[in-house]
Amino acid sequence: MNWHAMDISILGPALLAGVLVLSTHVPLGREVLKRGIIFIDLAVAQLAGLGVILASTLGWEIHGYPAQAAAFGAAIAGAIFLTWVERNLQDVQEAIIGVMFILAATASMLLLANNPRGGDELKDLLVGQILWVDMAALGPAAVLSAVVLIAWFFLRHKIQRVGFYILFSLSVTVSVQLVGVYLVFSSLIIPALATRNLGGKGLWAAYAVGLAGYILGMLLSALMDLPTGPVIVWSMAVVAVIVGLMRKRDANQ
Amino acid sequence: MKKWVVLVLAMLASPGLVHAELKVFACEAEWAELAKQLGGDQVKVESATTGLQDVHYIQARPSLIARVRSADLVVCTGADLEASWLPLLLRKANNRDVLPGQPGFLAASKFVTLLEKPEVLDRAAGDIHPFGNPHIQLDPRNIGLVAAELAKRLQALDSAHADTYAARYADFKGRWDSAVDGWATRLQTLQGARLVTYHRSWVYLFAWAGLVEAGTLEPKPGVPPSSSYLSELLARLKGQEILGIVHASYQDSRPSEWLSERTDIPVLLLPHTVGSTPQVTDLFSMFEILVSTLEGAAR
Repeated sequence: MNWHAMDISILGPALLAGVLVLSTHVPLGREVLKRGIIFIDLAVAQLAGLGVILASTLGWEIHGYPAQAAAFGAAIAGAIFLTWVERNLQDVQEAIIGVMFILAATASMLLLANNPRGGDELKDLLVGQILWVDMAALGPAAVLSAVVLIAWFFLRHKIQRVGFYILFSLSVTVSVQLVGVYLVFSSLIIPALATRNLGGKGLWAAYAVGLAGYILGMLLSALMDLPTGPVIVWSMAVVAVIVGLMRKRDANQ
Repeated sequence: MKKWVVLVLAMLASPGLVHAELKVFACEAEWAELAKQLGGDQVKVESATTGLQDVHYIQARPSLIARVRSADLVVCTGADLEASWLPLLLRKANNRDVLPGQPGFLAASKFVTLLEKPEVLDRAAGDIHPFGNPHIQLDPRNIGLVAAELAKRLQALDSAHADTYAARYADFKGRWDSAVDGWATRLQTLQGARLVTYHRSWVYLFAWAGLVEAGTLEPKPGVPPSSSYLSELLARLKGQEILGIVHASYQDSRPSEWLSERTDIPVLLLPHTVGSTPQVTDLFSMFEILVSTLEGAAR
């Protein structure tokens, strides 16, 4: 047991990053689940990663604006392509998303074949290190989350299909660099899964599941001295299973 | 009753208050072991990595930040070995006493002569460390040099126990120097022996023991071998007398085994730090096992 790691100044920024990620990913995840395009976030995250790697092979600084623009560019191009796929090839949409993921992932490997430091950068980008997040990185992420949330909740009927894909790509490009692809996937899918078919109050229940997962995960990771990201993923899954069991019991009564 | 509970909780929460020890945070297992040798009961040593990990890359845990925050002395290799995580860790821990440049931060590589300093820096050459090869712990004379500096820092940071540290250092230095002489004598028959390595992490051992690197499984540091490179390596090794393929416990064993199957050269699992195998319990047993494994291969 490591009580001394239970420190708000260590866990605080990471928790704030988690709250920001959840704020956009919970509603978007409910939509993803409804449409049955679960692996879209892996594909979009890989595309964003590919954009950053492309920029760094060109010699641009990885956290600089040009590299970020490349990441957003690649992700938005993917979003526009996915909109086209949904319109024209809907019956094989999930398969095409899978192929897109694999192509983006292997393209990164090919670009990095001779750049070993880039290998670490790619790993950080995808696995993520939520504990290294600092407050400075949270500012831009908060602004973008607010924009996405406003667009999603107030302009939803106007933005249509292409709007959803673009909002989704913007959110994932930011969040994957903050917390990594495993946490992004969990934040999208697990709360939505635990609270499916709950209608309007499902959104708040999903937020609660996600937040409980992050908080429990951080506490356990501090106490048990384990890497934070993977512990949060497991905590969120455990919370979701408990919620699922409670709902089943309530339904049986 | 209430007071009593609060007191117990306070003791649990801050074990540092109970014993006034010097808190040492080491990046690698070899420096943690050295700090234990030189500090004894006066220090409490924690290590960021174990002997089974690749120190180039680690996963962030909350306790790492907490430990650096409360540390009095941070001992790391430096020379960019921990470049992907130590700067982030120091920034998050926000402990002024252990920032680079302070007496509370010891970069071991600053106190030894670094090999393989690149003349031109080029990413195309692989994961080259601009300051030179950082795997310095594999020359036992470097351990002695770092020990001298570490003893000085311990004395300066905890002057109340300066005499104890000085005595412990003198004792360690005596035992270490005579052990190093013994190993060097035993390795003399192996001068010029040729070995294949996986990563260029053994150059200090080779330089000290007079061994020759006949080739590496990685074409460039940090870059996994391609099939054309491996066949080229196979052709190059044909007809050469090779003592063994040097392998560390944290590295993927498949490339070494692949080469061993095709060439009949034995794979030698050598300890690269303390704790890399269960038998390697301290710095003495690390070099003892290293030397005897090499002797065994030559027999």
